[in-house]
Amino acid sequence: MNQRDVELLSAYLDGELKPSDSARLEARLKTDRELVSVMDDLRAARNLLRRLPQRRAPRNFTLTRKMVGQNPPMPRAYSGFRFATALATLLFVFTFGVNFMASQLAAAPATGMGGGGDVSSFAQEAPAAAEVPATEAPATEAPAELAPMPTQQPPSEDSVRSAETPTGKNGGVGNANGQDQPQVPNEAQVPVSSVWQIALAGIAVFGALFMLLIRQSAFRRWRSKE
Amino acid sequence: MNEQALIHDAQQGNLDAFNTLIIHYQDSVYNTALRILGDEDQAADASQEAFISAFKSITSFRGGSFKAWLMRTVTNACYDELRRQKRRPTTPLEPDSDDGEEMDSPRWLADPNMTPDQKAEADELEHAIQHCLNNLPLEFKTVVIMADIQGMDYTEVATSIRVPLGTIKSRLARARLRLRECLRGFAELLPASFRLEEGNTT
Repeated sequence: MNQRDVELLSAYLDGELKPSDSARLEARLKTDRELVSVMDDLRAARNLLRRLPQRRAPRNFTLTRKMVGQNPPMPRAYSGFRFATALATLLFVFTFGVNFMASQLAAAPATGMGGGGDVSSFAQEAPAAAEVPATEAPATEAPAELAPMPTQQPPSEDSVRSAETPTGKNGGVGNANGQDQPQVPNEAQVPVSSVWQIALAGIAVFGALFMLLIRQSAFRRWRSKE
Repeated sequence: MNEQALIHDAQQGNLDAFNTLIIHYQDSVYNTALRILGDEDQAADASQEAFISAFKSITSFRGGSFKAWLMRTVTNACYDELRRQKRRPTTPLEPDSDDGEEMDSPRWLADPNMTPDQKAEADELEHAIQHCLNNLPLEFKTVVIMADIQGMDYTEVATSIRVPLGTIKSRLARARLRLRECLRGFAELLPASFRLEEGNTT
């Protein structure tokens, strides 16, 4: 008696043996009392389990559309609005990116002209800042030029310094120009105008609103059918 | 009930068709879950989860025994529940009997004409069997529940739990022997008819 015999007996009880195997087993059962005893044990366990009453389900397990996350069918316009809204949103974000990149690219050469990009240029920025009155110098000098004074007057220290400034301290002035002047063209030369951006934002917002309305309407119709 | 037509409609997303299938199979599914888990509330939750999962994946059903396919879903839900229990063990609130079994009164599916004595006998039998089932390894328990309690044939059981036919035969034979050994310990608890049957067979 081994595990194989137990399996044969169990399958025999369920009628799952081939006819030839069944015949062989039946022949053995006629002579082998241990085999008969094991088969009786298996049959008793099987019968007990089969006589076990079935319980009634405590409730109906039927599903609702909410339980399975089922959505109502949407009209064709919905997919159109969805596409338009998604595209407008993407383009809107893209325009911001493009404008930002353009302003960065425009600003980069401006600083490059003034400072030359080397460390010394940064060192020269401090004197430039300290010489702020130099920009005022021409203003004080102007009346002197306008006045009918003798032309060969020795220049004052201030005027010399202001005259030297553009040539001798090119870094300082260059920076001053670089900081002020490029700002104006940057704002005027953005690749995508704000009109386009407003239009895209409008399409995105209105598209989303329409989608919401269509969705709510579809759900309302769907629930009324249930 | 035209099962094939209902399955086809359910695969097209028709929830009403699937609900008709649920009503047909819910007792079998619930009983399988109850015998595997041994707890009514957990069995109900597992059954509900199994039906939700079955609807969501019904397009993967490629024919054959729908019951076997459904049973695979419910056994998976039960295995998930057992794994969850292992991670977060809980203590039942219901009072236990001396042998550790919960003292609940089962609701029988059929035979409302049972006398109180018959109901008491049935309760005792059920508790004894459930106790012995709970002592079986999970893979043996699943096979014996499907074959002997749900009455599925070997092929259906093999399809349900995705193991070879030979493994089903082996597990079922060993499960039956172990159950028989275990139930011998409950001989005095078993109803008279079962004790007589035991005496006749041994």
